[in-house]
Amino acid sequence: MSETGKFTEEILTAANEKAQVIINEAETSTQHALNEAKMHSAREAEDVLSNGRAEAEGVKRRKISETRHRLKLKEQSEKSKILTDVLEQTRARVNDVAKDENKYFAYLVGLVSSGISEIGLDAVVVHLNSRDLKQIDLNRLEREIAKNPGKAIKIEFSKEPIVASGGVIVSSIDGKTRIVNTLDQRFEALESKLLIEAGKILFGE
Amino acid sequence: MSGIETIKIIVDSEREAAKMLADADAKALEIRKRLDSLIQIQRNEALNAAKKEAAALVQKAENDGKAESLEYEKDAENRIRTVVSRASAKKGEAVEKLVALILGMKA
Repeated sequence: MSETGKFTEEILTAANEKAQVIINEAETSTQHALNEAKMHSAREAEDVLSNGRAEAEGVKRRKISETRHRLKLKEQSEKSKILTDVLEQTRARVNDVAKDENKYFAYLVGLVSSGISEIGLDAVVVHLNSRDLKQIDLNRLEREIAKNPGKAIKIEFSKEPIVASGGVIVSSIDGKTRIVNTLDQRFEALESKLLIEAGKILFGE
Repeated sequence: MSGIETIKIIVDSEREAAKMLADADAKALEIRKRLDSLIQIQRNEALNAAKKEAAALVQKAENDGKAESLEYEKDAENRIRTVVSRASAKKGEAVEKLVALILGMKA
């Protein structure tokens, strides 16, 4: 090969090598940037997945929690219906007892005596509902009350009937002090206890 | 070969060398230009795959939740039926107890 040939070949070889370096550098730097971007994208993708996992867990938990809550309410509602029914039946039974003079009289004596004892006065007014005022033998009632030990109490029966399904209100003569022993008051006062007792029997609570 | 011919050959080869370098620069530029779109494509692929997987996870969780809820509901309905049935059978006993509580307290 001539000297000129060698020289031109050297020029072209050098140019080719440099061209290759330029391209290699571009490819290397591009690959490097691509790898970095890939890692960044992978982190982003992992975030998306992580959020997805959290959402999935929430979706499942929410679904189950809603069902549990709905059924808990349903159970409470069913129990409440039974309790309400039992309270209504109890009220009806107590009112039936009030209509049965044989059972009711002794009970009324107890209510009046208890009211007199609680009010602690020498003279009292006993208030009854209209049915009791008509049906109950007030003299007998007074006699039965007088059998209780302790000092003699002057008892006056009010002619004005009270509005109650049964029971009694014992008041002072001036009406300022009252002991309410009506069936309705007793029912109201005992309601929370009645619910607890009924719950124990019905549901073992 | 004359001197002029020699110079011409050298000039031609240098021109060719310059063209090779210019082509290499152009190719390098082209490679770098493609980088943004390659990154974008790569990112979209990764995110789309992740979104798809996340959506599948949520869907599966929904299905699992439904199935578990149905199972729970079935058990709970049975339990409620039993509770109601047992309680209904004890209503009479409860009424007796409550009546005794009301009438027996001070009577």
